Amino acid sequence: MLKPDVKSQLKTIVGRERFLDAPEDILSYAYDAYVAECVPEAVIFPVNSEEVAHILALASKERIPVTARGAGTSLSGGAVPARQGLALCFTQMNKILQISTRDRYAIVQPGVVNGDLQKALGRERFFYPPDPASFTVSTIGGNVGENAGGPRCLKYGVTADYVMGLEVVLASGKIIRSGSRNVKDVSGYNLTSLFCGSEGTLGLVTEITLKIMPLPEAHRTILAIYDDLEKTANTVADIIGSGILPVALELMDKTVINVVEDATQLGLPREAEGMLLIEVDGITEAVEKEMNRIVAKTRNNGAIEVKQARTQAETDDLWKARRSTYSAFARLAPTCIVEDATVPVSNVPRMVGGIRAIADKHKVRIGILAHAGDGNMHPVISTDIRNKEEWARVQTATREIFELAVSLDGTLSGEHGIGLAKAEFLPLVTNADTREFMAALKKTVDPHGILNPGKFV
Amino acid sequence: MEAEEVHRCVKCGLCLVTCPVYQELREESASPRAKVQLIKHYAARDLPTSPHLSELVSRCLMCGSCTANCPSGVRHDSLFRRMRSDLIDDYGENWKKKVLYHFLTHAAQLHWASKFAAFGRNVVLEKIAQEVKIGNIPLKRLPKFNQKPFRDQIADVIEPLGKPRGRVLYFTGCGTNYIYADVGRATVQVLQRMGYRVGIPKDQVCCGLPLFIQGSVSKTKENILKNIALFTRPDIDAVIVDCATCGSALRHEYPAVLADLQTDTREALELSRKVKDIGEFIFDNVEHLQPFLKATASPTIVTYHSPCHLRNAQGVKTHVEQLLEALPPVDYIRSVDFDSCCGGGGTFFYDHPNLSQRIVAKKIENAKATGARLLATGCPGCRVNLAGNLEETDAIEVVHPIQVVELGLKV
Ligand SMILES: Cc1cc2nc3c(=O)[nH]c(=O)nc-3n(C[C@H](O)[C@H](O)[C@H](O)COP(=O)(O)OP(=O)(O)OC[C@H]3O[C@@H](n4cnc5c(N)ncnc54)[C@H](O)[C@@H]3O)c2cc1C
Repeated sequence: MLKPDVKSQLKTIVGRERFLDAPEDILSYAYDAYVAECVPEAVIFPVNSEEVAHILALASKERIPVTARGAGTSLSGGAVPARQGLALCFTQMNKILQISTRDRYAIVQPGVVNGDLQKALGRERFFYPPDPASFTVSTIGGNVGENAGGPRCLKYGVTADYVMGLEVVLASGKIIRSGSRNVKDVSGYNLTSLFCGSEGTLGLVTEITLKIMPLPEAHRTILAIYDDLEKTANTVADIIGSGILPVALELMDKTVINVVEDATQLGLPREAEGMLLIEVDGITEAVEKEMNRIVAKTRNNGAIEVKQARTQAETDDLWKARRSTYSAFARLAPTCIVEDATVPVSNVPRMVGGIRAIADKHKVRIGILAHAGDGNMHPVISTDIRNKEEWARVQTATREIFELAVSLDGTLSGEHGIGLAKAEFLPLVTNADTREFMAALKKTVDPHGILNPGKFV
Repeated sequence: MEAEEVHRCVKCGLCLVTCPVYQELREESASPRAKVQLIKHYAARDLPTSPHLSELVSRCLMCGSCTANCPSGVRHDSLFRRMRSDLIDDYGENWKKKVLYHFLTHAAQLHWASKFAAFGRNVVLEKIAQEVKIGNIPLKRLPKFNQKPFRDQIADVIEPLGKPRGRVLYFTGCGTNYIYADVGRATVQVLQRMGYRVGIPKDQVCCGLPLFIQGSVSKTKENILKNIALFTRPDIDAVIVDCATCGSALRHEYPAVLADLQTDTREALELSRKVKDIGEFIFDNVEHLQPFLKATASPTIVTYHSPCHLRNAQGVKTHVEQLLEALPPVDYIRSVDFDSCCGGGGTFFYDHPNLSQRIVAKKIENAKATGARLLATGCPGCRVNLAGNLEETDAIEVVHPIQVVELGLKV
């Protein structure tokens, strides 16, 4: 329990209105989009770096756990305050501070919603490439915390590739700055990258300088349909292996196709074993040429049908199946889990086949969805966590998927992070010395372990 | 309370962007996802009922945007309504609100003149009036009551002009009957012009939704049965409704409430199939209107606010905009947030005046930015709220879309 005088000090820092500790209030900060819950002792909404610094200095002194929270859409439990203490919410630090199209950067506060930034940039014909499917709600601070990706990261790269500079408040309350507004910058350690994906365990990000890009001139989209899942996956490896880099290369298996078709009646081919949604963007002439090569490759690998979108409306239609997947699975059963294991793209065919076999073996409903172009699998599992027996099978299947990924030179998570969900599997991909190095780093910057304790480090 | 529904929420958080209250406060506890969480724990009996819980659950405009966009198909609207009903059982309603409801739902049964006298003598109502503002709306900007209720101003049957095309019944709602008689007159005139015989059952009563939204399920049944008896008729083409809220009641809530109360729903379903919003009906039959529209060299700029009870609850999303676009004397310009809630939300403007004021201020700013002279909206609740928050100096006026259609008629 927070001591009364600590509470009153916190209230002095942010004011009464931005501090909550009623049982009815704090209950809503116990969760994110993962299944675990843990209720914090209080919730606090700072609006500037100085307030964050004061809060952390006090928390360090009083040894109070502090878990940063953006929109709370983490799929790995990153934002769940596993050791209670304070949930520190950045949603009211949501100003876009500067957009410079000349120097191609934007400076934002951490609570800015990805989609709001896209809207502001769109008005200048610019964009910020990382596009998690949660972009309408998730925050840039949370995107940095999880090093978020998205469909178009295949071509453009993930959050860390766009973060040029950070202002970070350390556990002590000291404020540091890393990076700058320069695309090239080697002044000391690359601290910026260190904080990307650190899930709020090393410091709290209070300002972010992002690289931005002009919107591409043209894009083209196709949907290729297969009667064989292996052929589908082989196409992926073939396209990427030949040096073409689409902006998105998404794979859906038969389970996904049928679950989505049940929910949406889009007219998807129910008998198909696999589908690929492929998009290229860039200069009009280049886009045309690349797409022709891609279409040839899908046919060579045995696609039975290739649909090409000619208009924006047709493009939207092709994306509809992909965009409806999460929702279709979420409606099937009370619990919906999106896993995130990732393998080198040449191993995608073996990974896809392996996941299918695991699903069948444990009789778990798993749809295979993947940002296949970069090997990022998204097996979608629909279940009911209240059904103990089924939940146990889901957990076994999940573990086997991780083991399979690791055996194929893969990793646990491409973009959702480790958080609570995958902490126990970390030894599969890191050796003891590596974990000790992480722990040593953590200890140096956060000696009392107040920042998001109970997570992977 | 029974709440299996809560387990369908996967807590993805995508509702945050759809919720006008969350967008304003940027606190998770104001989001639909959080309310589902509270209800889940309340239903599991590990969160006791409390005034604060009641306050948090009531911080909702009941606009239905979360329900309309939820990936998991959670029916937040019905879940929140049942929760409110439980909380009313626990705490009773705020006394001022009770008086307002009573006034609304019983108004039709009283004689109009005696009601005014009652208003003058009722100490409780006087107390409300003394607050100078009702909720977020200054008293002086509240609309005047009709001199006489609309239904007392007009015949029960109005014959079509020109070639008869069909018969409709008109559900006038409390908004038109007591406040906006101008909407009633416009509706009748346009329908008559298009060739419809318009019947206006005199004994119709409040649709009951205002009560129901606040969770007073049992009180609404009487009104529902009465209206069903008057409006469910095989010999008519449509039941026309000019109020988004009444429309959603007649279309969806009547069968749902009766089913909940284990009462026969056949007639309610039959009625539901015939209910049409006035804007929707006219747009669907716009070819019969076209010959009577005048051409103008200098069209009026008009913008639109899409009422939540029309867009989310009835799924009428594009008709009214398309109708406005089809009117030659109108230059329709869409406001950037035309489809977000105005912040009125039934009695939300009364329960949470500051929050409501912040939401409506943005709407008005964006509507004014279109340069429009008229802001059309097909819901008396939205109209009271939007018009009530304009400044004296604002050049924009809030009207019902049917009044815009009326302006476009040849004389
Ligand atoms: C429907 C859905 C679709 C999704 N799609 C994708 C996808 O395509 N790609 C993808 O990568 N992810 C996806 N996600 C996961 C999630 O949206 C991302 O991880 C996102 O980056 C989280 O952002 P948030 O604002 O919700 O952060 P939160 O969940 O609130 O926090 C995430 C982590 O960051 C930390 N954190 C938050 N703010 C700060 C800060 N200012 N400083 C330091 N640490 C901080 C938190 O402590 C936590 O550990 C999806 C989630 C859902 C529900």
